[in-house]
Amino acid sequence: MTFQRKIVGGLVLAPLMLALAACSGGDDNSEGGGESSEQKITIFQSKVEISDQLAAMAEEYTEETGVEVEVLGTTGDDYFQQLQIRLNSEQGPSIFSLQNVTEAERLESYIYDLSSEEYVQHIAPDMELALGEKIVGVPYGVEGFGMIYNKDLVNPEDVADYESFVSTLEKFNAEGINGFSLAQDAYFLIGHISNYPFSIQEDPYGFVEQMNAGEVTAAETPEFQEFADFMVAIKENTPTPLSMTYDQQVGDFAAGKTAMIHQGNWASGILSEFEYDFEIGMLPFPLMGNDKLAVGVGNNWAINSQKDEGEIQAANDFLNWMSTSETGHRYIVEEFGFVPALTNIDAGELDPLSQAVLDATNSGETIPWAQSVYPANIVPNDLTPFAQAFFSEDMTAEEFLQGFDQAWQGAQ
Amino acid sequence: MKNKNKKKWYILFTVPLLIIFTTVVIIPFLIGIYYSFFEWDGIAANAKEFVGLDNFVQLAGDERFRESAWLTILFTVLSVVTINAIGLAFALLVTSKIKSANAARTMLFMPYLIGGLILGYIWQFVFLDVFTLLGEVTGLDQIFFNWLIDPEFALFGLVFVFTWQMAGYIMIIYIAGLQGIPNDVIEASKIDGASPWQRFIRITLPLLMPALTISLFLTLSSAFKIYDVNLSLTGGGPANATELFAMNIYNEIFGSGNYGLGQAKAIVFFLIVAAITLTQVYITKKREVEM
Repeated sequence: MTFQRKIVGGLVLAPLMLALAACSGGDDNSEGGGESSEQKITIFQSKVEISDQLAAMAEEYTEETGVEVEVLGTTGDDYFQQLQIRLNSEQGPSIFSLQNVTEAERLESYIYDLSSEEYVQHIAPDMELALGEKIVGVPYGVEGFGMIYNKDLVNPEDVADYESFVSTLEKFNAEGINGFSLAQDAYFLIGHISNYPFSIQEDPYGFVEQMNAGEVTAAETPEFQEFADFMVAIKENTPTPLSMTYDQQVGDFAAGKTAMIHQGNWASGILSEFEYDFEIGMLPFPLMGNDKLAVGVGNNWAINSQKDEGEIQAANDFLNWMSTSETGHRYIVEEFGFVPALTNIDAGELDPLSQAVLDATNSGETIPWAQSVYPANIVPNDLTPFAQAFFSEDMTAEEFLQGFDQAWQGAQ
Repeated sequence: MKNKNKKKWYILFTVPLLIIFTTVVIIPFLIGIYYSFFEWDGIAANAKEFVGLDNFVQLAGDERFRESAWLTILFTVLSVVTINAIGLAFALLVTSKIKSANAARTMLFMPYLIGGLILGYIWQFVFLDVFTLLGEVTGLDQIFFNWLIDPEFALFGLVFVFTWQMAGYIMIIYIAGLQGIPNDVIEASKIDGASPWQRFIRITLPLLMPALTISLFLTLSSAFKIYDVNLSLTGGGPANATELFAMNIYNEIFGSGNYGLGQAKAIVFFLIVAAITLTQVYITKKREVEM
């Protein structure tokens, strides 16, 4: 009997002890943080490709300054939801990343105004994340997308406008080569490519607003009409992108099975993991004879305004260090592989795709990213289902335009 | 003394579970009901606006929700039928006197051990590579093609994979049921000259009703609540053709940022699942035969 009692007692006590231990452990930590007078900061960001490098940079920062920096992990896919959950449970990071103005608007009450900080003056013109008059985000770097092409297979002159583009696709189709490939994921299927008819308008962002207000429709806009023709030509002459993953898309390109893929300079990382023996380059998507690459900012660093003053100051110090110190610059360019969006950084040696983006940026030969001002979540929620329908059903150019308008209005 | 001890054990095993159940199920559920009366985007610092029953009213006009309701019902009906039919067939097979019955039993149960997410990704490959290859080789490309990119077939693809996952599990329940049928009844019927089919319809099936009650309940509720296979296999696509209830709710809350409306959907969803499964249990219970 006593034996049994001991077991029962032990079983009841064990979890209790654990719980107590956990509680006291928590207390110790917070006290420890306060005592050392050094503020600890946490960083949560969505670009999985740089997590290891970012952690290494954080370590160097700790070595230099003694401030502890913790980099929180994410899978990237549902970053914004995770961020939302962290903020709601009051475990928000000190520094987090934001993709665009739409996200910034939703999290407005959490975003610290960086306008008066010194380091924001280095941001390249028009590349800062702004909310009204306030500067709220420092860009990671500029990114650009277009048609990445195999120089052995494609001559840029052959894809310079609608007619030549279509005849090139037809030629490849006859040869059994995939002429042009999108991929199944939301942004690679429709998000990026739908950007063109907006961004070649005179006032792209204004045009998006007009679309939102229903003042203009895709069906009656010439840029969209030609865009629909392009989409139909792509659908008719290439295998369906619905069963093409990002990895496969890039892999097929590296293997020479695909002549052109619609991708950005970020693909050079994964591309370099494949062995290929031809030269690559990036071409503008020739909608209405467009000859400029779409360049913009994919991610921005922002500071959590709900933290106490000390932590905000520490976060500011970190961003300042990253944007002005040599070590910070080295990481941005060499380790992260970003095309810098800060004017005080020397880009150094770049891969051919990033070089194309940087050249375009420097010469001003760019069109903006209209997709960064699309209504929130419209790409995965409304445009992707529409694009899936387009690629799996019979749809003419007119029906494409109607469907596009419907999907757009459905997101309001 | 003995009684007191029993109570101790009872408390020891029940209380931790009760605490966990309350904190992760009951309390969030109540909070969820509370949120369903608000218009809110799910961000703590942003304003919550009390709108009463507006969210529930709005549901009636939500076409995408109705569409996903219809798909969920279709999916559930199809998979309940196939899972139970195949599960029962498996059970009959492995309890008959064939060789390697034990090996078969293990093999058939195996898919259930694979997580739904992984299962979905694996089957994506099967549909993409194996099905298209089969179509090319056999020339039957009207049947064998990548079902997942066809809005009409993607749902059947989902039923197919879900059946593959669940049938083995349901088989185990039917095996238990079959083994509970006394041998003398079967023997008596044999002596009376009943054919195997008559034996199955008149004796086995009625005596299997308790197992059927459980199996139907399990398949109904898990088909209604399916999310993991749905997410990894089709992600709701193509063109929302496989966006089932749970995914629709998730997308409403986190995709569109309509926390209140999403919660309202979740409450309605709960009521529907509860009503249907309770009715089913009530009906099948009445048909159970006492030995």
